[in-house]
This record gives sequence, structure tokens and C-alpha cells, in this order.
Amino acid sequence: MSRGAVSVRVRDLHLEYDVFSERRAGLAQRFSTGTGSGRRVVHALKGVSFDIRQGESVGVLGSNGSGKSTLFLALAGLLPPTRGEILVRSEPKLLGVGAALMPAASGLRNIRLGCLALGMAADELDEVIEDIVAFTELGEAIERPLKTYSSGMRARLHFAIATAVKPEILLVDEALAVGDKAFRTKSRERIESMLAAAGTLMLVSHSMNELSRLCRRGIWLEKGVLRADGPIDDVIELYEATGASDD
Amino acid sequence: MDVSEVSADSTPGGESDGLRPLTATVSARQYLRDIWARRDFTFALPFEELRSSHLDTFLGNVWHLGNPLLSAGVYYLVFAHILNVDRGIDNYIVWLVIGVFAYHLTSSSILGGAKAIDNRQGLMRSFRFPRAIVPISNTIGHLLTFGFQLLVVVLVALGSGVGPSRRWLALPLVLLLHTMLNLGGAFVAARLNDAFRDIEQLIPFVLRLLQYTSGVMFSVDRVLAGDNVWAQRIITLNPIVAILDCYRWMILGTPLRPGALGIAIIESIALLVFGFRFFRAAEHSYGKP
Repeated sequence: MSRGAVSVRVRDLHLEYDVFSERRAGLAQRFSTGTGSGRRVVHALKGVSFDIRQGESVGVLGSNGSGKSTLFLALAGLLPPTRGEILVRSEPKLLGVGAALMPAASGLRNIRLGCLALGMAADELDEVIEDIVAFTELGEAIERPLKTYSSGMRARLHFAIATAVKPEILLVDEALAVGDKAFRTKSRERIESMLAAAGTLMLVSHSMNELSRLCRRGIWLEKGVLRADGPIDDVIELYEATGASDD
Repeated sequence: MDVSEVSADSTPGGESDGLRPLTATVSARQYLRDIWARRDFTFALPFEELRSSHLDTFLGNVWHLGNPLLSAGVYYLVFAHILNVDRGIDNYIVWLVIGVFAYHLTSSSILGGAKAIDNRQGLMRSFRFPRAIVPISNTIGHLLTFGFQLLVVVLVALGSGVGPSRRWLALPLVLLLHTMLNLGGAFVAARLNDAFRDIEQLIPFVLRLLQYTSGVMFSVDRVLAGDNVWAQRIITLNPIVAILDCYRWMILGTPLRPGALGIAIIESIALLVFGFRFFRAAEHSYGKP
């Protein structure tokens, strides 16, 4: 494992949030006791700690609902920790396919907007956008509304936007699995050059193949708790031994 | 290296040079600076929204102007030809259309502010930026729509024999006052609705109540001249009355009430400052699952 400087430090991270369930108490009880509104506290992360160093590529495993995506939202600064702390060397960029930016606008317009949201100024966009469009290889589809895109096309777009700013710390949540072979090769090349430049990658995936190919270290989350942390192939083996894998 | 099955209390140690906390609360000044740094994003958002809002229609962008023109046409048809009322107001149709459009700017900004956080969930889950940008760009978006409506008002005014006037030059100041009020309202509505989704259901009724005390469809003069003290107080304190007066003064030359205008200015600034602080106090909780 590389011994670069620490780029992400997580200490005793807890994350809780409220959700509303469909099972609620009667209206009278909701008013008289102030409870039973269906509000439940979800304890998504229960004291997670780890250090990640520059140049490291870390795969995050775990069954559905184990807290992987929540961890990434927290690491991207999009969810505040309930307790504990997250220290970073530079601001991590999150790449997921779930988030639709502006569904009615074209791919090209979404690229523009995404770059601006990342903090670029309008007058430095033209050059960057050209590169992003070229990387996506979407051709004329780039002028079509985002809502008409397949998940693979969306993944190309999101990946190209998120890596355009050359982030030092990149968090990829399931965004590569939906791409075709050509895109996976390209994205892998880009990730590798990022790692070579002392970047840091964290990847959530349910494809053990992909994790094994792209990552050297593995972190296994289960029910909001860190179950294992070590070389990726060993962690995968441990994970699969429990029969929890779905790949 | 071997795999360690980690227990919850194991904390790797080590140097922490160059590391900084990810979510730290920034000062108001820094927060405003962060918003300013994303100004291109703040403006691009409503423009993109506007551009793509009629993409799936045959007439496309024509609807930005067509929509308010048809509204004005309906009012003209109903009030001038079917009901034949002018409520004792000269140029009633122009007067009415100004009121309806300007009031709609406030109501849509507030209702839009309430819904904005939810509507922008995708952006907020993907990118980090000061969350105040969401209600701000929403308010700018409604202001853009209002621009087309103002154009229609001017067209209708010119068509009904009202000439251009130097008073039109006051437009930027009036828009500034109006926007401070709308943005303040949008900030408050955004945070309230994020905490209690029930608010969104209540806002339309509050807005309708507000509409009837704002002199949108009829003049407040008769109430002010009457003897219902409470009604007079409500109307004097309602900043929207004074703001509608400004627009009507600009286009039609109807009188302004300086006292009420002064109150409206103070209220708008106060609402904006309060709204901004109120919204910001929950900065990190917007966009939670």
C-alpha cells in the first residue's frame, strides 16, 4: 500500500437522519403526544473511522442499505456528520448517476451547468466543454434532453463532468458499472492517470470484477459499521464468504 | 498485508498536516463571497430553466410572450366586454393587468422558493455550493418571466393610448424593492417547507388571503377612506400595496403614498435580512435524504 500523505481522514463518523414511514399513528395521537408522525431516525453510519492516503484507490463494498452511499454523500460534504469528523486535504468530488441535473435541458447544457456548479467561471467554459463533449463520445445526442438518455449515457456525461476539474479526491458511486466496454476502458485510463498524479479514488460498486480491477484497498461496510479494511482481493474474499455478494 | 476485521473503536492514528474539516460553518461575509464566486451558476440556472421550459411545445419560446398576452386578453374580454366594469378606475384593464402580473411575481417567488429545495435535489446531491443559491436563482427565474409580462403591460398600455413617460426610468429601483421582498419571502418559505412539508399546502391559501388585501383587482382607496380601522392598518402595513402602487404610478401616473412606500422599503429590507439569516441557519440540512 502506498504511503502518501493522508488525503481523507474519517473519525468516529455517525450519520443519522429522519425519514417518514407510511405507518403513522392517528391524527389525534400525533397532536396529543407530538409523536407517531411516522418520523423514524435512520442511523446510517455508526462510528466509522479510516484514513485514506494520496495515490490510494479504495473500493467500498457492502450489501444494499449498508451505508455506502450515505458515506459518500458525507465525504462529499453534502450531508453533515451527526457526530465525528471528516478531515480532507482538498474537497472531494462525488460522481453518481442517480442525480438528474436538469432533465429537460440538453446534455450540453447540463455540462455547462455542472461546470458552473463546480465553481468554474463562464468565460473559462468553452475550452473545458469541448474536452468534456469529446470524452463523452455522445455525438449528436449531446443536443438531446438529458431525460432521453440511457443510464450508460448519463454515466458518460457525469463522469466527464466530475473529472473535468481534475479533482484530487474522486468518489464514484456505482457510476461506472452501467457504461459499455469502451467507456469503462476510457474511464479506467482516466482514473489511473489521476491516481498516478497522487489523486485519491473511492469507488462504490457491486461488481467485484470492477473493484478488483480498479482498487487496491477494500473497505467493507455492513449496517453502518466497518467490517473489514485491507487489500481489495482479501476483503472481497471475506465478503463473498458471507454469501452477501450479488455479483 | 493481512485483512483486519475492524472493530468500531479502532482509530488509525497519524499526521494530519494539511487536513481541514470538510463541513465548517463560514461567516456571513464569506458565505456571501462564496455566492458571488458562483454568480455565473446562479444566473445560468434560471436561464437554462427558462430556455428548456417550452422546448417540448411547437411554438417554443414564443410562449414566454404568448402566455402573458393571453392572460391580458382574457382580462380584457371578461372585464371590458362581458362584465363591463371599470370599478371607477381609468384605464382599468392596464391597471388590473399590472396588478395581477406584479402580484403574481411575489406569489410565485414565495411558492417557488418553498418548492425550490425539493426541485433542485439532483443538483444539491451532486455539487457543493451555498444553498442560498437555490432560492436566489429561483427568484431570478420568476423575475425573468416577469420581464416578459412587463413587456406585455407596456404593449397593452401603448395600445390603449398611454404614452411613454420618464417615470419608466424608475423601473430598476422598483424592481430592486420588489425583489428584496420576494427573495426574503422565498428564503423563509424555503426553510419552513424543508422542515415541514405541510407548509407547501398552506402557502397558496396564505397567498390568496394576501392577494385580497393587496389591491390587485380593486383599489384600496375606498377601504382607506372608510371607517374600518383594522382594514386600513392591514393595507398600510402590506408592502405589496405600495409596490403595486409604484408600478401603476410608473405606467399610469396614478398617485403614490409616500408614507406607505417608506414602510414597504423598511419591511422589504427587514424581510430580506431576516430571511437570509433564517435560511442560512439550516444551511447543512438542505438536501438530506
